[in-house]
Amino acid sequence: MDEIANLKLLKKAEWLRPGKFLASSSWVLMVLVLILAVVPLMTSSRTTLNLWTEIYILGVFAMSYDILLGYTGIVSFGHALFFGTGAYMTGIIIKNTGPTLSNLLLAVVGTIFLAVVISLIIGYLSLRVKDVYYAMITLAFAELFFISAEKWRSVTNGADGFSFQVPAFLQDRYVFYYGILAFLVLVVLLLRRFIDSPVGRVLQAIRENEKRAEFLGYDVLKFKLISTVVAGVVASLAGIAWALQQRFVSTGVMAVDKTIDALLMTTIGGAGTLYGALLGSGLTTLAKHRLGDLAKIHPIFERWYIIFGLLYIMIVLFFPGGIIGTWKRIWNKKIT
Amino acid sequence: MDIFMNLTLSGLSTGMMIFLLASGLSLIFGLMGVLNFAHGSIFMWGAYSGVWIYFRTQSFIMAILVGMIMGMALGWLAERTIIRRVYGRHIDQILITTGLMLVLNEVLKAVFGPNIIAVQIPPLLAGSWELGGIIIVKYRVFTIFVGLVVAAAVHLILTRTRVGMIVRAGVQNQEMVQVLGINIRQVFSLVFMFGAGLAALGGVMMAPAIGSINPNMGLENQMLAFIVVVIGGMGSILGSALASVLVGLAGVYTAWFLPEAALAVNVLFMTVVLLIKPSGLFGMGGGRNS
Amino acid sequence: MILQLSHVQTFIEQFHILQDVTFEVPEGEVTVILGRNGAGKTTTLRTIMGLTPPAKGSVQFRGEQLNGLPPYAIARKGIGFVPEDQGIFSDLTVEENLSLAMRKKDGATKTRLQFVLDIFPDLESKLRQKSDSLSGGQKQMLAIGRALITDNHLLLIDEPSKGLAPILVEKLAQAIREIKKHTTVVLVEQNFALASAVGERYVIIDDGHTVREGKMSQLLQDRELLGRYLGITANPKSGKVV
Repeated sequence: MDEIANLKLLKKAEWLRPGKFLASSSWVLMVLVLILAVVPLMTSSRTTLNLWTEIYILGVFAMSYDILLGYTGIVSFGHALFFGTGAYMTGIIIKNTGPTLSNLLLAVVGTIFLAVVISLIIGYLSLRVKDVYYAMITLAFAELFFISAEKWRSVTNGADGFSFQVPAFLQDRYVFYYGILAFLVLVVLLLRRFIDSPVGRVLQAIRENEKRAEFLGYDVLKFKLISTVVAGVVASLAGIAWALQQRFVSTGVMAVDKTIDALLMTTIGGAGTLYGALLGSGLTTLAKHRLGDLAKIHPIFERWYIIFGLLYIMIVLFFPGGIIGTWKRIWNKKIT
Repeated sequence: MDIFMNLTLSGLSTGMMIFLLASGLSLIFGLMGVLNFAHGSIFMWGAYSGVWIYFRTQSFIMAILVGMIMGMALGWLAERTIIRRVYGRHIDQILITTGLMLVLNEVLKAVFGPNIIAVQIPPLLAGSWELGGIIIVKYRVFTIFVGLVVAAAVHLILTRTRVGMIVRAGVQNQEMVQVLGINIRQVFSLVFMFGAGLAALGGVMMAPAIGSINPNMGLENQMLAFIVVVIGGMGSILGSALASVLVGLAGVYTAWFLPEAALAVNVLFMTVVLLIKPSGLFGMGGGRNS
Repeated sequence: MILQLSHVQTFIEQFHILQDVTFEVPEGEVTVILGRNGAGKTTTLRTIMGLTPPAKGSVQFRGEQLNGLPPYAIARKGIGFVPEDQGIFSDLTVEENLSLAMRKKDGATKTRLQFVLDIFPDLESKLRQKSDSLSGGQKQMLAIGRALITDNHLLLIDEPSKGLAPILVEKLAQAIREIKKHTTVVLVEQNFALASAVGERYVIIDDGHTVREGKMSQLLQDRELLGRYLGITANPKSGKVV
């Protein structure tokens, strides 16, 4: 009798746990979206709106990174090459053919195609060997792409980059803001779906214990490849959004720093929580702007990354779930 | 012929400096399983502190000494405070050493400034010899010489000393080394410090060779070292040495004919090796996922 | 008692491998740990060595608590371990494998080296060779010899007869008889013929619990016990005993 009563209590408590709560309900997302949707009503400042869209776009990029780091358990140092591919594809196509919707669509299709091909090639080469090789090899490929972008000046204008016009309908700041917000929501829903799908479950099993997953008969390489393709495509879409927001593309979009940004955002916010990456994007992007402004007061603030680096090390060492993971843990302890 | 000789010499010289960086990386990985993403930062700290001392004392020997001490101190500190907490956790090791790289690079910029600093070859090693119409740059010969001495010394330490024996045994089976009553953690600290010292030496040597130092040199050279380690096989000093020379030579030859493709050739090279023999050309078969 | 385990529990990842292991090892005898595959025999040895530290319970060696000590410290107390896979460093020569185990070199080490070479004469001619080149039997000899090179008081050997030809098993039995004159031995062994030939005491582990311990001579009489835990139905005496 007691046991049944306990079980019922447990079930009740389960609903109160943020883990269950975030995973099962889309209403947290809805509340979040509603709050974010009213932002433009409070401010019409282009700078503020730009800051928010930057957070969303980098949030999408970081969430795609979380698919690799948090849900599959692999560390990539080449994620920026997908981001960069999306950004360059968009910039180059629109600049050379004109700022129309059909050209933008062409860029999107081309980007997705390229992202799939690249992630399959790199994944096939590097996922068969030990996990640490994946980190090294992706770094090497990222550098290769970076240097290509730098040296192929006739098309990319090297490190100086180039600016371009965006399609007219995207020039309206509100349209752009809501467009990017919709993009963010769409990606969250799709990734959520992916994580909860049978494939997503297998990936998490691989993250927990790769040998066991293999033993159970799963083709680990195949599932990891799927993971890198999904992460790569989403990252390249974020790259497209980035290019449209900045209206400018330079080699910075391909730099290792971009990947490390995603790594930091994901880890600080909480790897393996999806929303953590978004939170991390918010924190880092805000810090970058605020602390960057402070650099006028004292140049030490230009080195604000030191603080983030130390924070990041502390989180890896002592709070493996990042902010959201740790919060969930504390909350769960309170309940039980 | 003149050009060929020059390129070969230059490639060997570059290869030897990459070797200094890669050998520590390879040993640390082979023994402890730690892929150290901060290795390039330590290399860079070696370069900066060496150059800083050189500007003040005009002594290249002092520069080498101080650079190496700086590298060893950083390596020791990193191992003691951070890295030993994550032994056996591969993903966390990559994450933590990446964090270390970030912090070390940013602190370096805060201390020495973010700009490029020009560095000259010390007068004693500057200039060149002419041998039958072939110009031989003295500094290149010097770097090759130092690289060979270090390679020989590391080889002797690994094969002739008890610590070396423990390292070789540890690369194969850490648990068994412990069971024989040896505290392998102490050996870890030692190897980490030693590897960091070699990386820093590489940094000090590299500075005059390329004529300047900048805060990106760490990651750039670390990537070459990674390629070397993949080609040569983790944990193999001989493999690292040969692969370094290959990467150095491939780099300069390509750079001569097609400067844009220098890195591409090495990445391609690495890719081919991975396809054919994932454990590296000289590795001990540990490359496959297991 | 040289070694005492009481209510030892060990987890490997989330698996509760040892649930209640309690037994004693008297000095100067050969104790054999018996049990089915997966019963926890190897984990018991690894727990004593500190390789899979116990979560609960105590391991005492000559009255000293071993719990919580790192493997190297446990080894230094005078316990040698020969794992199932022998743990030979194949990249090192036979001599290097032996000398790695010598923590201090003195006159006694030399005597012991001679002792090792006396019981395993095969090794003498191979000292300078890479241990990679040894046969399976020779590797086993090297592994046991390596554990004897320091003055260990206790030797834990995990399935030494595995994969050895019958003639080598016979040699092994002789070697173990020779070793026990100086050193207490705990043996995990599936080959019951070998176990009963060299063992003086037995411990049976089943599903992570010690279920019985006692004198080997008594076990040989107890058909029911043999059948239940070891799956031995025929008269063990009728099998060829080495």
